[in-house]
Amino acid sequence: MRTTVFATALLIPLTAFAQDRGPILLDVTETHVLPRFAELSEATQALVNTAQSDCVPSSTALRKDYSTAFDAWISASHLRFGPSETDDRAFALAFWPDTKGFTPKTLSKLITSEDASVQDPDAFAEQSIAGRGFFALERLLYDPSFEEQGSAEYRCSLIQAIAADIDRNADAINVDWQSYAPKLTQPGEDSPYRDGDEAMQELYKALLTGLQFTADTRLGRPMGTFDKPRPNRAEARRSERSQRHVELSLIALRDLAARLSFDHPEIAADLDAAFSKSIDRVQSLEDPAFADVATPQGRFRLEALQQSINDIRQIAVTELGPTLGINAGFNSLDGD
Amino acid sequence: MIKLFTATSALTLCIATAASAGDAPSKADVLNTYANIAEAKYDDSLIAAKSLQAAVAALIAEPSDANLNAARAAWVAARVPYQQTEVYRFGNAIVDDWEGKVNAWPLDEGLIDYVDAAYGGATDENEFAVLNVIANPSFELSGETVDAAEITPELLADTLHEADGIEANVATGYHAIEFLLWGQDMNGHGAGAGNRPWTDFAQGDDCTGGNCDRRAQYLSAATDLLVSDLEWMAAQWQEGGDARAALTENEDAGVSAILTGMGSLSYGEQAGERMRLGLMLNDPEEEHDCFSDNTHNSHYYDGLGIQNVYLGNYVRIDGTPVQGASLSDLVVAADPALDIEMKAKLSNTMQALGRLKSTAEAGFAYDQMLEAGNAGGEALIMGGVNGLVDQTKTIERIVAVLELDQIEFEGSDSLDNPDAVFH
Repeated sequence: MRTTVFATALLIPLTAFAQDRGPILLDVTETHVLPRFAELSEATQALVNTAQSDCVPSSTALRKDYSTAFDAWISASHLRFGPSETDDRAFALAFWPDTKGFTPKTLSKLITSEDASVQDPDAFAEQSIAGRGFFALERLLYDPSFEEQGSAEYRCSLIQAIAADIDRNADAINVDWQSYAPKLTQPGEDSPYRDGDEAMQELYKALLTGLQFTADTRLGRPMGTFDKPRPNRAEARRSERSQRHVELSLIALRDLAARLSFDHPEIAADLDAAFSKSIDRVQSLEDPAFADVATPQGRFRLEALQQSINDIRQIAVTELGPTLGINAGFNSLDGD
Repeated sequence: MIKLFTATSALTLCIATAASAGDAPSKADVLNTYANIAEAKYDDSLIAAKSLQAAVAALIAEPSDANLNAARAAWVAARVPYQQTEVYRFGNAIVDDWEGKVNAWPLDEGLIDYVDAAYGGATDENEFAVLNVIANPSFELSGETVDAAEITPELLADTLHEADGIEANVATGYHAIEFLLWGQDMNGHGAGAGNRPWTDFAQGDDCTGGNCDRRAQYLSAATDLLVSDLEWMAAQWQEGGDARAALTENEDAGVSAILTGMGSLSYGEQAGERMRLGLMLNDPEEEHDCFSDNTHNSHYYDGLGIQNVYLGNYVRIDGTPVQGASLSDLVVAADPALDIEMKAKLSNTMQALGRLKSTAEAGFAYDQMLEAGNAGGEALIMGGVNGLVDQTKTIERIVAVLELDQIEFEGSDSLDNPDAVFH
């Protein structure tokens, strides 16, 4: 049934007439985008401050600020365009999935050689993205195999350097957004967006890519296959944040979807109902690191959750996109 | 030649197609050219793979430094047409479902043969990262004993490839063969490619690296498999073949497939996964042809494939041109300025990729460019990345101008193949 709906939808022509994108572009920018990056920048500042005075991996204060800052990133991480892409900032904030184990390898190398770049923020920013950001910090705070590596003093400096680098990137994104916002809200000659349609496409793409990443990667990777689930591939499993990331991303994407569909109440209602179902499903799980994916029941629950997210994608692709007259275009998940 | 062809086909097909603007070619003609170029490219890939097969046979019959180098040269030549086919991959499901057999990357090469101790052992992700089939005639895989006494194409394709459901277990295709011909590149960010001695294929007392007979068997089986896989794909694009039939089933979807292939390869795959990621990780092995140091060519010919599909003009490896009504012609009729923009961006990309290639050929290898803090290398690679990202933007504009409805997004099982999810 759904297959038929989807196949037919491919042939629905896009709405041809020009639509006034102004109000939605302004609303999304001012109430969805800017506050998220402001919050991230604030939360990472708190993380740096705490790490400066308390760099013990098991410290409650440090872990709490880490968690708050990571929450803020996940809630903004679908906005992968413009300032987040300059100088590889978003990649440096969160390098995952790490299919070849680059993060532990890079950290071990830094620790073993006592690399001096930890004392120099500019030099540290030149290090591999695998040794920076929230996922590198997670290893140092939660992975027992790093508790004994090298000297405690160097590990402390490394934790502080990673926290400072996270803050530096978060600040840079936030600052740049102040000048990028008008480019998005007033497309044209001084903007990378030729017209309102292209600016709108950027936001629509952020919604679709965010949903795709959560369904296919955040859930799909640990799900593996029925015969071979892969709990070790769950995102941020060491800090038991896997379930939380799915929830936070859905909450953020729901807000974006509501704003994008504002002029079309029926589609907005469909999307909202679908998000509501998905969010209920993720909130009813009691499986923070997706470890239960190894059991048939646990896997079934994730599969149901994934399906509910694919239902949202379906509505976005077959109803929202064509009604707005916007194509999905290409995203970074195209390819392998 | 081009004009003549366009005119004739327009005459024959104008009745069949709905009124098109100006002197736009019919979509059917554009799809026909696209399929003809695919047929020629896969046929060229097959011809070049057969040369490689002959060179490998000579190496195994008579191992020597000269024969190893000849096989390496044949491999490099075989990549020229193949990389130009990659633009077909993401738009055509039949190609995407198949390509993992011939061009899977990256790989945990310890599955195949001996590796340096620094390579490490089994990982979180892959417990067979150092299985070393060449040294082990029998081993356990997912709870079952595998008899690998004889290394056959079937063993590689059916048992070893993607063993344990892990994509990094690449047992077949160009990169497995590349590893057997070059070996690991132990030079890090320094100059030089993999340096496997020819004696790794010598029989008897001269054998180095152990199990030379099994190594030769593996190389031979993998090359045979590459030839048969390419034979299959070339046939799919011939008149009456499945790939051609799927493409032409719905003209709008067909034209959309051309653009999907161009955009997905440009952006997510080449600019992102293959170029920018390696740079951000500063890892010398995070390059597409890491054993042979041929990455600059892989990137260059990927880009060239995108360009020649848009222009509807491919030159075969024997110099024969294959051309006809093109996507470019279609865009000219709808929005001439947009066609100029697309052509300019494609040629900017080719200039940037050409710069990367010429610099690498002059001795500054791709893995050296990847080194942290190497500003010149970073600028060369980012030149290619920026060109590819920029051209993707124009591809999106073309999708909008041609009103091709929703372009499918690739790389997503759930949407490409709804049955996979909504069963």
